[in-house]
Amino acid sequence: MSQITFTFDGQDITCDQTSSVAAALTQAGHRAFRKTEGDAPRGIFCGMGVCQDCLVTIDGRPNQRACMTPAAGGLQVQTQSARPALTKPQDRTLTPHRLTPRVLVIGGGAGGLNAAIAAAESGAETVLLDERKVSGGQYFKQDADPTRDPLDAQQRAGRDLVTAAYAAGVTLIQSAEVWGAFDGPEIMATSPEAVYAIRPERLIVATGAYERPATIPGWTLPGVMTVGAAQTLWRSYRTLPGRRVALFGNGPLVAQVAAELVSGGAEVVCLAEAAPAPWSRPVAALDMVRRDPALAVKGLGLLSKLARNGVRVSHDTLPEQIEQAGDVLRVTYRQNGTLKTVKADAVCLNFGFQPQNEILRLLGARMSYDAQFDQLRVDRSPDCETSVPQVYAIGDCCGLGGAPAAAVEGRIAGRAAASDEAQPTPADLSLRARHGKFQDALWRVYAADRPLPEDAPPETLICRCEEVSKATLDAALADDPLDIGALKRATRIGMGRCQGRYCAPVVAGIMARRQGRPLEDLSYFAPRIPIKPVEIAAITAAETLLDAEQTPDA
Amino acid sequence: MLEPDLLIIGGGITGQCAALVAADAGAMVTIVDMQRNAGSHANAGSLHVQMQSRFLRLNPHLADNLESSLPLYMSAVAEWQALDAALGGVELTQQGGLMLADTPAQLDFLHQKAAREQKKGLDVEILYRDTLHRLAPWLSPHVVGAELCRNEGKLNPLIANRKMREALTARGVRFVQDQITHITDGPRPIAHGAQNYPAGAVLIASSWGGGQLAQPLGLRIQTPPEPLHMNITEAGAYEIQHLVQHAERPITLKQFRSGQVVIGGGWQANLARDDSAAPAIKPDSLLGNVALAARIAPGIGGLRVLRTWAGYNTPVDGKTTVGAVRDGGRVFVGLPGDAGYTLGPVVGRMAANAVLSLPQAVDPEPYSPARWRA
Ligand SMILES: Cc1cc2nc3c(=O)[nH]c(=O)nc-3n(C[C@H](O)[C@H](O)[C@H](O)COP(=O)(O)OP(=O)(O)OC[C@H]3O[C@@H](n4cnc5c(N)ncnc54)[C@H](O)[C@@H]3O)c2cc1C
Ligand SMILES: Cc1cc2nc3c(=O)[nH]c(=O)nc-3n(C[C@H](O)[C@H](O)[C@H](O)COP(=O)(O)OP(=O)(O)OC[C@H]3O[C@@H](n4cnc5c(N)ncnc54)[C@H](O)[C@@H]3O)c2cc1C
Ligand code: FES
Repeated sequence: MSQITFTFDGQDITCDQTSSVAAALTQAGHRAFRKTEGDAPRGIFCGMGVCQDCLVTIDGRPNQRACMTPAAGGLQVQTQSARPALTKPQDRTLTPHRLTPRVLVIGGGAGGLNAAIAAAESGAETVLLDERKVSGGQYFKQDADPTRDPLDAQQRAGRDLVTAAYAAGVTLIQSAEVWGAFDGPEIMATSPEAVYAIRPERLIVATGAYERPATIPGWTLPGVMTVGAAQTLWRSYRTLPGRRVALFGNGPLVAQVAAELVSGGAEVVCLAEAAPAPWSRPVAALDMVRRDPALAVKGLGLLSKLARNGVRVSHDTLPEQIEQAGDVLRVTYRQNGTLKTVKADAVCLNFGFQPQNEILRLLGARMSYDAQFDQLRVDRSPDCETSVPQVYAIGDCCGLGGAPAAAVEGRIAGRAAASDEAQPTPADLSLRARHGKFQDALWRVYAADRPLPEDAPPETLICRCEEVSKATLDAALADDPLDIGALKRATRIGMGRCQGRYCAPVVAGIMARRQGRPLEDLSYFAPRIPIKPVEIAAITAAETLLDAEQTPDA
Repeated sequence: MLEPDLLIIGGGITGQCAALVAADAGAMVTIVDMQRNAGSHANAGSLHVQMQSRFLRLNPHLADNLESSLPLYMSAVAEWQALDAALGGVELTQQGGLMLADTPAQLDFLHQKAAREQKKGLDVEILYRDTLHRLAPWLSPHVVGAELCRNEGKLNPLIANRKMREALTARGVRFVQDQITHITDGPRPIAHGAQNYPAGAVLIASSWGGGQLAQPLGLRIQTPPEPLHMNITEAGAYEIQHLVQHAERPITLKQFRSGQVVIGGGWQANLARDDSAAPAIKPDSLLGNVALAARIAPGIGGLRVLRTWAGYNTPVDGKTTVGAVRDGGRVFVGLPGDAGYTLGPVVGRMAANAVLSLPQAVDPEPYSPARWRA
């Protein structure tokens, strides 16, 4: 593998040529990438382009996400200041494209790839947009270096799926991030070389999920990241988040990633699960095993591998606070009522998932609140169509269902979008139902009580982007804001770069409980364009496209 | 509930300022608001004074009208200065507003405009290339000059709205959430919603919801909402101190103290899909508005657009309407018309003064609802 060299604040960084800027900096021991308005250091948090905390200046262009930007020889990377000077960046050529395919799929994970393949095989002209450089999504998480051997069967299966998509004739556009969804639907996306305005006849949204962390003091410190961010560093870039790693979370992903990091040479100093041990819930556990024995066996294998490496899951355990202690992070956590501490280079958090349903909400798709998972889920017909005609939704962006369920839904929606006559096959429908029952059983095993955000200490940052503390939130709540919009305007909670992805679920819940109202779509911040911050250069390039067309008024 | 001296329909900047003046004069005030699409929650905080050149070019026959309103705009700024002091700071700055010209012809036009405005007492000056670019180094080299209007400025509406609400609460003003459907006129008028609200006087300060309430009382006034588009970027160094407009193109551009650049200027949005939704963004407005801003101020090109939103503006006929619906009646209207956030405080004060029969600092006659009477 050939190596490249770039500079970070003037210092040479050498890395694999397929590395991301974030992975290269992490490998070189850097944790802090930017400074906030309040002068706090920040670094990688989500690892998937959502949190906007990994910003750096690259060759004079401010606010580039290190986790989504490939490293390249000769780049000049600098720590991002909170307020870059207003200097005109170097001109870039972004080629504008107008596309009008029969089917547009957004997201190249298990759901999106299967949908695109099914649509293309049914004869529809199909375009798939994926913001990652290499498609596959979260489950198949591909290696950024295509020449490296896949880590395991899962990664190999993903590679095969991408190959199958090409073979089926899908137009696969990678590194293209969708930032706009307008009535029509009209979709806007940007890649490093091009901008796209796409008006498909049918739209399939397959944008997956992002992770729910723990809103506790210290959750914004560099080195604290989501479990998925650590997984991406390892699986896509063969980089460890740190040598000594502590993981806290809820659900099977946490132990799985712990095992992956161990095999990469990390020392897992703490593996904490919020739920009680499965053997304390034998009925639910047996039901889960019965519904998918193979997966259950895989899980047991994982745990025994961890045990061989001296890692044991600590159940009934929740993190309470993270502090910087010299070069390392110190986590205070509560295990079965007892306070303990552990020191680590990296602390990984995952307390469930949030559907990435921004596009669906923008288009006005009807949503229902799911109390078990504490999130909005889009309403769908049996063939995965939403309440907006010709807009389909599949996979984790409808609520976590796992990769196999996303794949079946993809096949169902892909065929339906390609042809109005297509009906879901009974086999697909029953497969989908089976996966659903397995997920139900799984999350009954992992059901865990979590402290309410109302009880968080006053210094806890509720909104990590705008650095708004629990104390400020409480002061604003004392004025009885009418709705979450009023609260947002009063406190700036939700006004930052992540568009409220981390604070919205927290404050929506707090508001609903205060007002004794059930949660609904309106309990959350109103969806806004852009879905993710978009460069002005991209807007300028896209404008030429609409200008040339003289779009008639909708 | 005790019957208030004044019931105000609409809790935007106009209604709130009327409430503040009336409460300070000792009146008991209640504000009823349905909490839907207030322009005051969507606006960009530009304090406009100089004549909008686009309007002049499109409606040369209305130039005199516009010119005659200039004193009102100056009082409006004075009113905001007083509010800034009374509320303990709303990030009001008065570095002035720049109206840019790309061509000698545009600059000529600004010259003539400035001469008329100077006669009305505005503090205006034409800046040529070198002076201008020293003042605003982030501007495009294409800009050949500008009119600087020192009366103009900007403020942060998020802060103003929050502090206003606190000030009213401290003065005992009551807030009720309800939708008023009609008003019974009389010596003690009644506003009807889910509840009935009898009061000593009723003020209609409900912008796009105003026409519907005023028409049955004999005013032929239409107040259709005009959905407008806004953009905001992430923060950059605070370098754009002026309110920036253009002699020919629809744009307002400025920077909040937070470092965020706010871009607007009257680009259209779509009406809300349904009652619970906000007005929807049009892609051509977003692209056109931001691309224009980046051509004028290439220095912002390194920032990303963080968010867009749309809100309801209520220009009516472009001119303020304030006063009693009928002579001697107890139902009043307060509709600022165009640049309504600038004018809201002064219109609110004029409305409160009319209700309480207090002396007026600005002659309300030209803005009387009489022009709408059947
Ligand atoms: C962080 C994380 C780690 C996970 N790890 C595992 C695991 O190890 N094992 C396991 O069994 N399950 C795992 N899961 C769950 C599992 O990955 C999912 O159930 C499965 O991948 C769902 O497939 P999907 O197609 O719905 O979404 P995903 O696989 O998440 O794919 C969504 C795709 O959409 C793209 N996308 C999203 N927004 C945009 C946009 N605006 N523009 C363009 N593209 C966009 C994303 O980049 C991604 O490629 C994980 C989930 C997450 C969130
Ligand atoms: C995007 C945008 C940007 C703007 N930028 C600027 C700017 O930079 N500078 C400037 O000077 N102006 C600007 N304006 C115009 C300005 O915002 C408005 O003119 C001004 O806020 C109007 O204030 P208001 O108090 O009269 O009405 P609003 O703020 O619109 O408030 C009216 C209130 O009445 C309520 N209501 C309506 N009907 C009823 C009913 N039947 N019963 C009960 N309540 C009712 C509504 O809920 C609302 O709260 C902008 C407008 C928009 C939309
Ligand atoms: S870590 Fe890069 S955006 Fe979150």
